[in-house]
Amino acid sequence: MSPGLFLHVATMEARRRMSYRVDFWINAIAGFGAEFALVWFLWKAMFAMSGTEAIGGYTFDQMLVYYVVVILVAKVVRGVEFEGQASEDIYQGGLNRYLVLPGSYFGFKYAQSIGSLLPALVQAVLFGGLWLVLSGRTGFEGVTPATVAMAIPAIVLANLLHYLFVWTLHVIAFWADNVWSLLVAWRHAAALLGGAMIPLTLFPTGMQSTLEWLPFRALFALPVETLLGRVTFEAWVDGMLVGCAWLVVAALLARAVWRRGCLQYSGIGI
Amino acid sequence: MIHVRDLSKTYTVHEKAPGLMGSVRSLFARKTVARHAVQGVSLHVAEGEILGLVGANGAGKTTLVKMLAGIIHPTSGEATVLGHIPWQRENDFRRQIALVMGQKAQLWWDLPAADGFLLLREIYRIPEARYRENLAYLAETLDVTRHLHVQVRRLSLGERMKMELIAALLHDPKIVFLDEPTIGLDLTAQRAIREFILSYRETRKPAIILTSHYMEDIERLCKRIVIIDEGAFLYDGPLDQVASRHTSQKVITAHLERPASLPPAVLAGLGTLVKQEEYLLQVRVLRARVAEAAATILRELPVADLAIDEEDIGTVIERIFRERRVGPS
Repeated sequence: MSPGLFLHVATMEARRRMSYRVDFWINAIAGFGAEFALVWFLWKAMFAMSGTEAIGGYTFDQMLVYYVVVILVAKVVRGVEFEGQASEDIYQGGLNRYLVLPGSYFGFKYAQSIGSLLPALVQAVLFGGLWLVLSGRTGFEGVTPATVAMAIPAIVLANLLHYLFVWTLHVIAFWADNVWSLLVAWRHAAALLGGAMIPLTLFPTGMQSTLEWLPFRALFALPVETLLGRVTFEAWVDGMLVGCAWLVVAALLARAVWRRGCLQYSGIGI
Repeated sequence: MIHVRDLSKTYTVHEKAPGLMGSVRSLFARKTVARHAVQGVSLHVAEGEILGLVGANGAGKTTLVKMLAGIIHPTSGEATVLGHIPWQRENDFRRQIALVMGQKAQLWWDLPAADGFLLLREIYRIPEARYRENLAYLAETLDVTRHLHVQVRRLSLGERMKMELIAALLHDPKIVFLDEPTIGLDLTAQRAIREFILSYRETRKPAIILTSHYMEDIERLCKRIVIIDEGAFLYDGPLDQVASRHTSQKVITAHLERPASLPPAVLAGLGTLVKQEEYLLQVRVLRARVAEAAATILRELPVADLAIDEEDIGTVIERIFRERRVGPS
């Protein structure tokens, strides 16, 4: 797919997403507000019960900042996981129209996914900036231009890696028709093992070592910890290398599943 | 342009017993059955030809179109379209074909058609001048220029189908697959689409494969048809020879000067009564007995005008299908 076409599709999708104003604000306020309120009450109680200053290396303020950042980064990494994705096209036969168009269906869908990130990016800037102002930068002390520069490629890698895994799950619709439960299972597993549900430092040491070699850490914990200055340059390089290796695995897997799946496709709905 | 040899497609479908217990049982074991959608068909389509695929629902028309457009893989057999194997989906192949599905929107629902066309210009890499020229020609011919900036979902069914045709033809395809392009449209819109297809074919000369349930589409647009039933071809040849090859009867229509009727015994000797009114008699008679029957009618009735026609093609095709299922009547 040419860069021009990729940009055209992405901007078209961004315009489409931003045209739903009510959806944007409900998603922003309910998505961020509800999730953050839950975290705030939960950790307030945890810190009160434990009676300690820090849990898993995080003070209460640092924990809140971790969650603010992880909620916003996760929106950018995940994009739109369910609506308008490959499984819907396969199930409803909408894939037919893409298969007769020259170019890559994956490229087309990924461009749409990137375009659909615009509302998430606006929300990240909006809520991240608001938190910075309200908190007086408490908990953001580790953030420097260098950590921001390192976090950006980590977020790009996380987005692509996440998309490839989710794409593969969607493509299983060639056999399973409905992959909703698979996607929900993935979302929970990735959130728990990737650091979106709890910081990975809360896991037992042995588990933490194992997670360093799995793809999940690269999805959420690596970009967030990098941004907050909790990762050394060497650890960041190691994390990125592991993430890139998984990217290759995910790409090969996605390609193989897509090719096998196309042989099964019946184009129902035509 | 299109060469097909022994092409077959078999779907594996799951069957579930009805009721709650059937649903529970299907969680543990499912029965699968093979459905032969297309069975060993062979076909050649030349440049500029319009081929009509005629058949009942589930006959295999759409499956054949889907294989030729590269959407699905066949179970066995060979096909080349413009020198390409369609299901390999090479970009060079896809740049030269178009598919319009009457039952499925191709354009982006939330966007004005003009935005969708711009995207298609990028996808097909249509040069700017050619794009403008084609869009102007297609929009004017189909009379939808004023609707180009309206969201697709806000258009009427007829306008939407016209936009679908524009979207499919912007890149000057050499082969156009039209899968029920007039389905659900009112008579005026059906006529407009038919006229457009004829005029487009005259000027641009693409090969067109058309499926339709409306016999008028087939009769107006196609010189050659393929009748398909249960995945196999029953007939492949000129439209105007369907009747002569598949029916041994003709229809005699007599308009009368004054109310009159034939004695039942005479009528029974002629053939099968199709219609009888005060001033009209219509009978279906064996080809071999047409002259004799016409002479009897002229002798017995005050005939003002008499016509001898082939049977209506729709009726012939319906009878072909019926005879396949229950045997000749």
